Amino acid sequence: GRGGAKGGAKVIIEPHRHAGVFIARGKEDLLVTRNLVPGESVYNEKRISVDSPDGTKVEYRVWNPFRSKLAAGILGGLDNIYIKPGARVLYLGAANGTSVSHVADVVGPEGLVYAVEFSHRSGRDLLNMAKKRTNVIPIVEDARHVQKYRMLVGMVDVVFADVAQPDQARIVALNAAAFLKNEGGVVISVKASCIDSTADAAVVFAREVKKMQEEKIKPQEQLTLEPYERDHCIIVGKYLRHQ
Amino acid sequence: MADYLLYESATGYSLFDVVGADQIAAKTKEVQLSLQDISKFGKVVQLRSFIPFKNAAHALENANDISEGVLNDFLKNFLELNLPKASKKKKVSLGVQDKNLATSIKSEIDAIECDTSELTQDLLRGIRFHGDKLLKQLSPGDFERAQLGLGHSYSRAKVKFNVNRNDNMII
Repeated sequence: GRGGAKGGAKVIIEPHRHAGVFIARGKEDLLVTRNLVPGESVYNEKRISVDSPDGTKVEYRVWNPFRSKLAAGILGGLDNIYIKPGARVLYLGAANGTSVSHVADVVGPEGLVYAVEFSHRSGRDLLNMAKKRTNVIPIVEDARHVQKYRMLVGMVDVVFADVAQPDQARIVALNAAAFLKNEGGVVISVKASCIDSTADAAVVFAREVKKMQEEKIKPQEQLTLEPYERDHCIIVGKYLRHQ
Repeated sequence: MADYLLYESATGYSLFDVVGADQIAAKTKEVQLSLQDISKFGKVVQLRSFIPFKNAAHALENANDISEGVLNDFLKNFLELNLPKASKKKKVSLGVQDKNLATSIKSEIDAIECDTSELTQDLLRGIRFHGDKLLKQLSPGDFERAQLGLGHSYSRAKVKFNVNRNDNMII
């Protein structure tokens, strides 16, 4: 509310610790990404235009941690997200592309996002978003069936997964085996209730970590997404294919 | 071990000769890292032939067949023309990523034996990693441009209803 992000003169943009991510310091601090398509919002998110030192306008989009688990993870203090300018990202569970659009901003024109989403309804929105962002390659297909989309994907630096499926560790492993560089990053958002609705969330997270280890993914950090999401966590790891 | 590898990309099909895979058979760290080094990997696999898709529609047709594990005539002709003839004793061993496509190839081309082993998968990872550096016909960025076009057309076809309309009303 309040249109608080208006009046760019009062807002100062600072780079976040993670390259390609920024903080807008105004009345309140906001997480933002530099808009790849200035002048347009993807999902009615607020935009902030600021004057850069050379006098030109640069536009940023507000990244809402209540709508994006990756944003929640960044605000929660993840140490390494592997997603940075120039990176190639395989994004599983792209949904309608709102979070993907911010990842596309982060990796920038030199990076690429292969965005996989199975739902046709969401896929339609994803396709529309990708029309404007040419560093997003939309793939409407089941992330379990890596073979079906192998012609569309190159080798990637990081796999991000937000698939909310009981077998998500296996889904990530299949994609890593086909497309992820050795020593590449794995960032998984885990919703405890999607994997086992009866067990305690902490137990579910521990089991997922173990499954990742069995799939040659060395866990590096685990972060719960409170206060933005309940019983969610993000697990970050490194793919060590040679183990 | 496979003597040849089939790599399907958004630009077209390519066949590689496996010339020195015995060096990378073991899965040690050094070996894995050598897959990422073009000067070493370039000695393990060498491009045998490449056939580009004729246009966007042709690429989509092939992507649909590949995704279903179907061996279409275009790929069949490419394999028959570019792989050596099998001798009576030994079939030609072709490394393929997908088991379904491997089954289709074996049932349609008598002379070819398909290999989907872990070593084949690792070699194909190496080809994916080095990408256009292994295909002299392509310039940097060609793969990505082709993936982008094909990703859109493949996905548009999957999304059954019209992408340009906001909703399909059920009356």
